[in-house]
Amino acid sequence: MSDIPVFILHGLAYAGLLFLVSSGLTLVFGMMNVLNFAHAAFYMMGAYFSYTVLKLTDNFWLSIIICPILMFAFGILVERFLLRRVHVFGHVHELLLTFGLAYIITELVKWIWGNYPLAVNLGNFLEGQVNILGIIYPVYRIFMMFCAAVIGLIMYLVLYKTRVGIIVRAAVNDNEMVNALGINIPLVFMSVFAAGAALSGFAGVIAGPLLTTYPGMAAEILIDAFVVIVVGGFGSLGGALLASLIIGELQSFGALLIPKLSMALIYMLMAAVLVIKPSGLFGEEQ
Amino acid sequence: MKGLNTRVYLWGVLLVVLLIVVPLLFPRYQIALMTEVIIFSLFAVSYNLLLGYAGLLSFGHAMFFGTGAYAVAVILNHFQGIPILLAILAATLVTVVVGFLVGSLLLRHKGAYFALLTLAFNALFFAVATKWYSMTGGDDGLSVWRPDLNIGVTILNMTNVKVFYFFTLIIVGLVILFCWYFTTTAMGKTILLMRENEERMKFLGYNTNISRLILFTFTGALAGCAGAFYALFFQFTSISAISIDMTTTVLLMTFIGGTGSFGGPILGALVFTYLQDFLSDITDRWPIIMGIIFVVMVLYVPGGLSGLIASIRERFGTGNVTGTLETEGDD
Repeated sequence: MSDIPVFILHGLAYAGLLFLVSSGLTLVFGMMNVLNFAHAAFYMMGAYFSYTVLKLTDNFWLSIIICPILMFAFGILVERFLLRRVHVFGHVHELLLTFGLAYIITELVKWIWGNYPLAVNLGNFLEGQVNILGIIYPVYRIFMMFCAAVIGLIMYLVLYKTRVGIIVRAAVNDNEMVNALGINIPLVFMSVFAAGAALSGFAGVIAGPLLTTYPGMAAEILIDAFVVIVVGGFGSLGGALLASLIIGELQSFGALLIPKLSMALIYMLMAAVLVIKPSGLFGEEQ
Repeated sequence: MKGLNTRVYLWGVLLVVLLIVVPLLFPRYQIALMTEVIIFSLFAVSYNLLLGYAGLLSFGHAMFFGTGAYAVAVILNHFQGIPILLAILAATLVTVVVGFLVGSLLLRHKGAYFALLTLAFNALFFAVATKWYSMTGGDDGLSVWRPDLNIGVTILNMTNVKVFYFFTLIIVGLVILFCWYFTTTAMGKTILLMRENEERMKFLGYNTNISRLILFTFTGALAGCAGAFYALFFQFTSISAISIDMTTTVLLMTFIGGTGSFGGPILGALVFTYLQDFLSDITDRWPIIMGIIFVVMVLYVPGGLSGLIASIRERFGTGNVTGTLETEGDD
């Protein structure tokens, strides 16, 4: 039972990762009603880019800065040249497009980097262990939690304390009205989409060394991120945060207590939320 | 209208003659490929009843296909001597139950939310199939033996490729014909109208939720039937039958063929299967080409091949384009 704090920390580390991935997804969805199936593929691209950057330069800090920037640029291209084109056909086509994009990215990754797991070596102080209150714990997981917390705080400050944040939140509520008020909504959407891609890519960079980098990583986190959104409620950042914590801990303790059913626990939670409160914990009733 | 009907019947007769004559002339490999096309036609038609007719985008259709495939394998392995048709029927009934249960949970939501949930549930089914080793064989899969079919006069040897081809052609062909009949019934029309204007249907006194659930269960059963044939065809059921990749396959087939007509998905199944066969000979990277074709079609040919053909015919004034379906979401 002395392991319990360790598992709580494990859960927190994964929750941080999930929050980074699902926050962008839920914001984009709330704004434009586009569920981006390629979002987790951006996460995977982040991890693979980071692998290559580390291989070339052996500098983790460089990779953690460069990869999200690359993903931001990639997000802009995807939004501007693909998503915007199909917007007029309705959201079925938008879903199909992002689904097709995720498929192509996964196949390209298999082609370029191979269909097997890659190990990422950090080779610096992040590899060590630290003693917190009598628990020996890997530094890297603490670093992950720290990253997620900092990014979460920055997101909160931007969204709730700045003018840009007001526009984004208003657009989540009613983008046509915001457009009518003279705000350039296509630009706002492009930025949020790209920021979401950058966040997802960032999550990929920090996930790579811990969870190994392999072509199935996108599908895996995509399902978890979807469950986060269902449980937390669509378009709700607070919901995404709470749901990430619940699912992170559930996975961590599921693996400890009932290893055979740990996967099923998450789906059971999702099914329960669907039955009891279909709109999710923080979602608005329709 | 009369002229159109004659033309449809003529094409139909021609198609049936081709399907009967062609396999007698071609080698085994081609017959096997044609069998696959027929099975996937049913799978794609069932998917299009959801996507094209009801406007419901599901990313979880493989859960029914896979359930049917596993059910037929488990039934044939556990009940020795059960007739093949009964096994297929039983497998289909299993998917009816599964479809009803899943549908009653998922259909509370629409649009993107529904799409997300179907994907999550497909992942759940995949996880169960992988972990439930005693039932599904996990990663190893299950072998199936095709029992012979006793039709009274004689006993047909199902292991023969040609015999199985004709068996599939007749049974699956009849099921597809039934689907076509379904779209012409009052229920089929209800589904169409519901997609176009659900509010009005409600005002007219239709219980749209029940109709949707019936349709979802029905398409699930059809996919399960296709899955059962798929397992019998390969004489093997593996987790690939229930994976997201299988959903991707049926989605690509349906979309490439076109969601706007009943025949589109059948054309899609034909084109996809032969294209895959052709591309996989040339390169191992064929999924990328498939993916690019799909994305390009989403961007530039949203009506699929059948939509393309219809618009060409319209432009040149031949033929009569009727009742085109659009797959616009209700946002």
